[in-house]
Amino acid sequence: MIAIVRSEWLKLRTTAVPWVLAGIALLINGLLILVIYLNHDSNGGGFGGGGGGNSGSSVTTSVVSYPHTTQQLRNLVGSGFEGYLFALLLGVLCITTEFRHKTVTTAFLITPVRPIMVAGKLLMAAIGGAGLAIIMLVSSLVGGGLTLVGLGGSFSALLHQVPAVAPGMILVFILFAILGVGIGSLLTNQVAAIVVTLGWFIILEGILVSLVHGAAKWVPTGAAEAAANLTRNRGDLSLFLFNWWQGTLLMLAYGLVFALIGSMMLTRRDIT
Amino acid sequence: MPSAIEVHGLTKHFGSVHAVENLSFEVDSGRVTGFLGPNGSGKTTTLRMLLGLVAVTSGTATFGGRTYEKLHKPTHHVGAVLEATSFHPSRRAEDHLKMVAIGAGIPLSRVDETLELVGLSDVARRRVGKFSLGMRQRLQLATALLGDPEILILDEPANGLDPQGIQWLRTFIRYQASIGRSILVSSHLLSEMEETVDDVVIVSEGRLVLQTTLADLAGRAGTSNGMRVRSPEIGRLTEILTATQVGFRPTAPDTIAIDGATPEWLGPVLAQNQIVVYELIHDRGSLEDVFLNLTQGFAATFPGATAGAGAGPGTPHAKPTPMPGGVS
Repeated sequence: MIAIVRSEWLKLRTTAVPWVLAGIALLINGLLILVIYLNHDSNGGGFGGGGGGNSGSSVTTSVVSYPHTTQQLRNLVGSGFEGYLFALLLGVLCITTEFRHKTVTTAFLITPVRPIMVAGKLLMAAIGGAGLAIIMLVSSLVGGGLTLVGLGGSFSALLHQVPAVAPGMILVFILFAILGVGIGSLLTNQVAAIVVTLGWFIILEGILVSLVHGAAKWVPTGAAEAAANLTRNRGDLSLFLFNWWQGTLLMLAYGLVFALIGSMMLTRRDIT
Repeated sequence: MPSAIEVHGLTKHFGSVHAVENLSFEVDSGRVTGFLGPNGSGKTTTLRMLLGLVAVTSGTATFGGRTYEKLHKPTHHVGAVLEATSFHPSRRAEDHLKMVAIGAGIPLSRVDETLELVGLSDVARRRVGKFSLGMRQRLQLATALLGDPEILILDEPANGLDPQGIQWLRTFIRYQASIGRSILVSSHLLSEMEETVDDVVIVSEGRLVLQTTLADLAGRAGTSNGMRVRSPEIGRLTEILTATQVGFRPTAPDTIAIDGATPEWLGPVLAQNQIVVYELIHDRGSLEDVFLNLTQGFAATFPGATAGAGAGPGTPHAKPTPMPGGVS
């Protein structure tokens, strides 16, 4: 299994897919960091609280012109959180690309028992997802941190918030990458898989949640939001969500059940 | 001789399409077996069933009694070249081989060895998308050889190759056989393979037409089709032939064809009658003719087709079309 994961990793990194995804994610993260600071400027000096329990402090220290409250600093560390969508796409692409370029023939010749190949991809995607989360965190620390220091803020204060943000964020990225492989194993047509994935997470899920009361915690994004509370408790959101471990299990269940059904379908499929 | 590959009663139906129908043959160890048949005769489907890529409807396709899936480390036993398109275009040749080697537990030193073997060392770092079809075929061969397998399965490896490429491929296949590998190589052209294969398995419409040695097939092809004579005294010759009741047909004002005649028969006739000859041509059936007769004749016996030469559906081991005429 280690050999298959290593092979999968080589497979992934020798194509443009992970680098393009990581590049776009980094670019967006840069813009988000910029927005965090611009947002503050437009507020006219007082750095608006991020919805945490510390909003009171920003009132009393309105002269401070950079993120300084616990919640503000956490938001800055976790500015790349939305990059989980790219972890999801990474998972989807690592399996659908094989079908698009017919490399799946070679893959199945190496690993004729097809569920083993899917398992290898699940593991590799999980590692890749964690890697992407770490890239996002580092880019936030570098980009956000440099700006913070430039404005007279404390970098060590920012670093202090990493343990509260990073584990939950890495967990969420891993869960989304696994879900991506599950979706990809069900929908091996690359275009269809991407359209369905983005369609669900950008449009359909929001519509469902607004229509069906109580669906929020059951949908993947809700489960992932819950999982993100592994190390930080965003009080206001938590009211509507599962515990972090319940959310984690639900997300894992989505990914693994999809992968299981996908594996069974792949096993019966003729590769012509 | 032990069998490297055994195919028994292999059948594949894609819905209502019967791609392969009750096909049985064996590939002997250490020999090159040509798997021949027209396009669409089920060759690729058969090879993909052997490799576990396509599920069988019924029957078995095994290597020493085991299916591909049941082989321990299959790429160490069986190397396959299926189609020249299954590469990620932005991946470098070397990385493609490394990826296979790592996944299959093959030492990475084999990557350079196999690149050398197929003559791609110079372009190892080039992206496969920039490769010509011939280079892709070579890269497929390198992939197949990575695990140093004792059996090679090559599906139409000559497709898209230029004459030099085909020559290289022949030498390559003969070399692989000389070091003890068993090779099953498919083609829709016997002429492409006749200098390469020891045995032939001929299929048509998903059914076996004939399994035999190339020598046997060549024996059938060697049968004389007749003689052609160009002579300024063609009139005198036709009189002699008419007198002895031998059939002929004119093909040009000074040329006739005598179907079924042999040089051994015609030579003395010409000498005894002192006929001046400008040109004397021995028409032999080529291997390709035999192959075409076998496959087309077989196809023609199915419902809806007009009756043609060859075997009926009940006799898969068909005899070649009898040569017309018959003088000897």
